[in-house]
Amino acid sequence: MSSFTDTVIGAAGAKGIDNTAGWKRLRNRRVVRRAVIGLILPVMLVFTWWLASSRGWLPEQILPSPAYVYATAVEMIASGEIFYHAGMSLRRVVYGFMFGAIAGLSLGVAMGLSRTVDDYVRPIFLAFAQIPTLGWIPLLMLIFGIGETLKIIVIAKGALVPMTMNTAAGIRSVPANYVEVGRALRFSRLQTLRLIVLPGAAPSIFTGVRYGLTHSWTALVGVELLASSEGLGYLLVWGRQMFWLDVVIVAMIVIGIVGFLMDKGLDVAETYFQRWKRSEGEA
Amino acid sequence: MTPVHLRIRNVSRRFNVNGTTLTALDDVSLDIKAGEFVTIVGASGCGKSTLLRLGAGLDVEHDGIIEHDGKSVDGPSLDRGIVFQEPRLFPWLTVERNVALGLENAAFSKAEKRQLVSEQIALVGLSGFEKAYPHQLSGGMAQRAGIARGLVNRPDVLFLDEPFGALDAITKARLQGELQDIWATEKITMVLVTHDVDEAVYLGDRVVVMSPRPGRIKQIVPVGLPHPRERTSAELAAIRNEVLDILNSTNGETPKLATRPVAAKRPVATANHIHAAHRAKLAQPAFSTTEI
Repeated sequence: MSSFTDTVIGAAGAKGIDNTAGWKRLRNRRVVRRAVIGLILPVMLVFTWWLASSRGWLPEQILPSPAYVYATAVEMIASGEIFYHAGMSLRRVVYGFMFGAIAGLSLGVAMGLSRTVDDYVRPIFLAFAQIPTLGWIPLLMLIFGIGETLKIIVIAKGALVPMTMNTAAGIRSVPANYVEVGRALRFSRLQTLRLIVLPGAAPSIFTGVRYGLTHSWTALVGVELLASSEGLGYLLVWGRQMFWLDVVIVAMIVIGIVGFLMDKGLDVAETYFQRWKRSEGEA
Repeated sequence: MTPVHLRIRNVSRRFNVNGTTLTALDDVSLDIKAGEFVTIVGASGCGKSTLLRLGAGLDVEHDGIIEHDGKSVDGPSLDRGIVFQEPRLFPWLTVERNVALGLENAAFSKAEKRQLVSEQIALVGLSGFEKAYPHQLSGGMAQRAGIARGLVNRPDVLFLDEPFGALDAITKARLQGELQDIWATEKITMVLVTHDVDEAVYLGDRVVVMSPRPGRIKQIVPVGLPHPRERTSAELAAIRNEVLDILNSTNGETPKLATRPVAAKRPVATANHIHAAHRAKLAQPAFSTTEI
């Protein structure tokens, strides 16, 4: 018996403990390598942009040079203008996403747990989901005006659909075997939900959060394009109207970077919360 | 001598499959004494797992009477532990937390629970692995954790549904030995379902041999040897052969198959066209006679 345990500990040690340092180094190298590879295309793109503007392939009013855009960016950072607009946009996304995600989680849980709710809600929900977020804006604008309410609603809707679908699918996919264990242990419905169903559905719910946030962010820019006097989307419209294409490009780059960082942040959070998962598979 | 602990009287269980009625259990009666180790052996589709689930209260749709300590079994109870074939550990919880789930609804203080969990983990030989996640465990270790979860609440009956069916022969033998030790020290009534005749004979005070279609108790074979047992003893081998003979004689009930030349001697040859759910198990022999 004891010799058996020893061999097992030995085996586990060889896998998990002894190699940790080497394993980390290997992983760091891989991370750096991937970051470098990921930068190749953006660098080429900037180079093409620089080539196009310096050779005059496009008039300067339409495509300002990278150096000029860079100068504008520095100026906007120094004046704090870019932070003001980005801050406004982020605030809207945080609120909108929060409402949308909570509503989507609740609806998804209800649909995942109850066939009846699912039968009632799914068809109409899918039909509504088919209408792109931006397609809602004209009607909502008439109902809610062009204030913050409209923006929050549109952003919330962007998060709602992926949150609901992924939560419902995740709950449906929790193995019946697991639920039966709960039954054998006399779990109440609430315990089953808290201890089995929600943790079991967590990976799928997390996918919903990621998609939801991405959708929220794109919806935000859309709604700001149409009805706003501040925010990153507003910068785009205003820059185009003024023919300040440098501002437009700076705004676009900021939108991209913020979106990218949010997604990365969620990625890190997901890995942390789901560290029980097999690490070999995703490395 | 000892009073009846688990009483199963004239129990039948029918399933409706696409409008036709399938009799999984037909008029089964079995009395189990407190502290007894009863093993149930039979081919796929003989209703042995169905019987176990009824006993544990996971399934309550049956005719007849099932009583535990004189009370009718009308659902799962913390007095009845169960261990499944797959350990069914939750992958997002550590071994410790998985075992502790067995105490979620028990009336113990936090400190008592912690104490019980660590005792059980020690009992199944998993000390040092409390913080490990299921994917870090081997099959045998995961099943130890499954057994610990079934035992942690100190049930007075433990039902085991082919608990070692998915393990390799060596791990299986080791865990059988350990289960026997746990049974001897904890004095818990155990009911173990298996398709492994050696396992049934090695562990059981009585071996309940079941025949399929419809599921019936064919014969109950008392083993009558003291625990712990010698795997290689002649008496055990004789009883094993007796059980195998009974099992072989149960295969004649499907006349079509009996005409197949291989079917004459070998118990393995029964075609498993009964329950779709059982088809996956076909890869394993219906009766293994692993000699360790």
